[in-house]
Amino acid sequence: MKIKRFSGGLHPPEHKSTAARAIEQCSLPDELVIPLAQHIGAPAEPCVVIGDTVAKGQLIAQPRGFVSVPIHASSSGVVTAVEPRLHPMGRPLLAIVIKPDGRDAWPDGLEGGMNPLLVNPLTLPPSRLRDMVCNAGVVGLGGATFPTHVKLSPPGGKKIDTLILNGVECEPYLTADHRLMLEETGRVLAGIDILRRILGVERVCIGIEENKPDAIAVMRDACVRRDIEVIALKVMYPQGAEKQLILAVTGRQTPSGGLPMDVGVVVQNVGTAAAVADAIIHGRPLVERIATITGPALVEPKNLRIRIGTSLRHLVAECGGLREEVVKVIMGGPMMGQTQLSLDVPAIRGTSGLLLLGKNAVATRSEGPCIRCARCVSVCPARLLPTTISAYARRDMIAEAERFNALDCIECGCCAYSCPARIPLVQSIRQVKGAILAKRRLS
Amino acid sequence: MTELVLILISAIFVNNFVLARFLGICPFMGVSKKVETAVGMGMAVAFVMTVATVVTWFLHYFILQPLGIEYLQTIVFILVIAALVQLVEMVIQKVSPVLYQSLGIFLPLITTNCAVLGLAVLNIQKEYTFLEGVFFAIGAAAGFTLAMVLFAGLRERIDLCPVPRSFRGTAIAMVTAGLLSLAFMGFAGMVKG
Amino acid sequence: MLEAILSLGGVGFFAALALGFAARKFAVEVDAREAAILEVLPGANCGACGFPGCGGYARAVASGAVAPELCPPGGPETVARIARIIGVAAIAVDPQVAVVICQGDQQRATEKYRYLGISDCRAAQKLADGPKTCPGGCLGLGTCAAICPFGAITMTDQHLAVIDRDKCVGCRKCVEPCPRQVIKMTPRSVSVHVLCNSHDKGALVRQYCQVGCIACQLCKKVAPEAYVIEDFLARVDYRHAVKPTAGVEVAIEKCPTHCIRDDNPPPAPVPDEKPAPQAA
Repeated sequence: MKIKRFSGGLHPPEHKSTAARAIEQCSLPDELVIPLAQHIGAPAEPCVVIGDTVAKGQLIAQPRGFVSVPIHASSSGVVTAVEPRLHPMGRPLLAIVIKPDGRDAWPDGLEGGMNPLLVNPLTLPPSRLRDMVCNAGVVGLGGATFPTHVKLSPPGGKKIDTLILNGVECEPYLTADHRLMLEETGRVLAGIDILRRILGVERVCIGIEENKPDAIAVMRDACVRRDIEVIALKVMYPQGAEKQLILAVTGRQTPSGGLPMDVGVVVQNVGTAAAVADAIIHGRPLVERIATITGPALVEPKNLRIRIGTSLRHLVAECGGLREEVVKVIMGGPMMGQTQLSLDVPAIRGTSGLLLLGKNAVATRSEGPCIRCARCVSVCPARLLPTTISAYARRDMIAEAERFNALDCIECGCCAYSCPARIPLVQSIRQVKGAILAKRRLS
Repeated sequence: MTELVLILISAIFVNNFVLARFLGICPFMGVSKKVETAVGMGMAVAFVMTVATVVTWFLHYFILQPLGIEYLQTIVFILVIAALVQLVEMVIQKVSPVLYQSLGIFLPLITTNCAVLGLAVLNIQKEYTFLEGVFFAIGAAAGFTLAMVLFAGLRERIDLCPVPRSFRGTAIAMVTAGLLSLAFMGFAGMVKG
Repeated sequence: MLEAILSLGGVGFFAALALGFAARKFAVEVDAREAAILEVLPGANCGACGFPGCGGYARAVASGAVAPELCPPGGPETVARIARIIGVAAIAVDPQVAVVICQGDQQRATEKYRYLGISDCRAAQKLADGPKTCPGGCLGLGTCAAICPFGAITMTDQHLAVIDRDKCVGCRKCVEPCPRQVIKMTPRSVSVHVLCNSHDKGALVRQYCQVGCIACQLCKKVAPEAYVIEDFLARVDYRHAVKPTAGVEVAIEKCPTHCIRDDNPPPAPVPDEKPAPQAA
């Protein structure tokens, strides 16, 4: 069978040393800091006050608007503060602070969920399922944290015929989705069935990079009788980016400025599918996720099941602490992750991993002149001219950058990674994208 | 027919007015900062060149030559070209104020653009027939526009480069023009001009 | 000889006829005042008036849509001339000058993290609100200096923007791009400024900057007329065009963190000892 792929991209060292480590449950921290802005869209609105006692999974913040989701307590305890706390975005943002009581109890003494479903979920109407997904606060767990119910509500006139499950995990170091597919295949598949019911699609594919043969084998065995296609994809970053994945799996090219819906596809991460299953079958809102805590500066890298709001410091301690001084802390993968100012920020719904780098792993070479080698052009999966767009961006030539389709940049970081002159291409392109959008808002 | 095509090719590439004969350098340096204005200027020059060639050809062969007063050639040609440019200026101002704004000072410069006068004079020197003369003019104008647009494209790209301080502006433009001219020297000898 | 005169005259006459006809046919209505105003304007095309270049502004003024005093680079005499052209009474404009109200360069203010990206304050500000600990301080990556059409802004080697009063024409082009609003427009008649942009409390300011305003009220005590303190930050009250009176001078002397400066005498050097950086 031909291995499918997209154009461009590159293959950075994988560093997936945690691929063989089973998922462990992270211990309960002394304090949970749960930010209200954990998803793309409007932040949620707190509906608890200081001193309230909350149970695990209890609603603590209401959504604001359609593109927004509620937030739930990730453990039982007392609300000790509702105040701005340092957020992974790098600035203090409003968060709800909970002091856990150590019981980690669901409401009314229930086990493992809030209101387990007593009927077969596939008999419920799609609209009801979609509301349940929204009420459970499910967002895309691949890292973009886009509210899932929005993705599952294609606007009228857009016919969806394919659902693609993203089990690619192309970022170096990260292995959370890999372990999830191996250990909790049942959850993922239950989630896929529900997603299929909501969207009413026939064709379902799961895309997995071929460097995870064990996951491919397990998923293939499980999907034999379900009419789900498991597709092995070439190991090539950013294979897991939505548009690149669609191109590799279906051969459809998402139009410039368009969405996957425009080509009849919905992409969901496998972690999101598992969260959907939890939400519908067990009535368990999104209060925890699996993340890879890794990096050369760490004593014992692990895949952990973490409660939303656990501080990074606690996660590091959970992995045996540090072996050397940390120079750079990245939330997410090394290519697209967010650099963090300190370890005192909470893990949030989009935290797919934590990467701790010592001084040997961080290159701090200064920028040199562009030598027009065009490596950035050859690796760009969006087929742009990063060097040209960046040059326009740095001269504030917004209209020209727009003409070169700067907005189609997916900020995957391939260009900056491959640049021999160490030019911060992604940063300047991101800058000009902001400027273009600001200009459009004005006009 | 072949003869006409050869005249055209020669005027555009081999004996390009700007890059091989070095005529019309003033607008070439002055109005080539942006491709759009370069195209506009090229079009204006092309129009003036073609009309000027036609008019001067008639003047020469039907008035100056029969009366034996070829020594008035230069002054008559300049008079005609000046009048034509005024005409073009009026038309552009009416039809495209934007183009008029960007060409600004350079429109009157076509008046004294040696490329136009040079073309008219060369046309007589080479003893072209009327049709050959028209083709020569079209070729010359196309060559001029080509050189302008190529150069403007290069300059737009140079604007994105970290040019050393001492070379910024006209200096690097001159260097580039030299290199462009060198490139066009590659066509030399392809057609006897 | 006669042929020469006749033919040349004929050609000239014919050309004149053609031109005369064209002048009628392609006549464009041009407001004579517009051209006159354009003559008067400085021609820098800086856009400070909010119109695309001097030509756009000249057209707008000639049509009576806008007032003649929107051209800061031109100054009062330009305004007076334009007013004469369009026949209105000139309004006195108080020329303005931009001031960077921050002295916290790399020597004097602490860093939150080490920034390695592109040299653009706006991009740096997006990363955790910029690499400087102070939330209002100059980031010193030169966005304003690159934008200034008059070359009035230079960056010191300690990464601080400094505006040359003599070159600045008050076009405001640098004000909006600054992500921390550390550039303020001030009346040119006033040369004393409080050079700090942090609204944090004094104790906090002391932690990250040696030359920050700690809102100690001293300046207000010695010159109550000239200073205003709002939200933990002192500033000069520009409404009374303060000439450096005795009280103002005393305040400059008294300010414990040396963050008030008179731009007319050369700024006195401040002692530079870096406060201990916070553990990140």
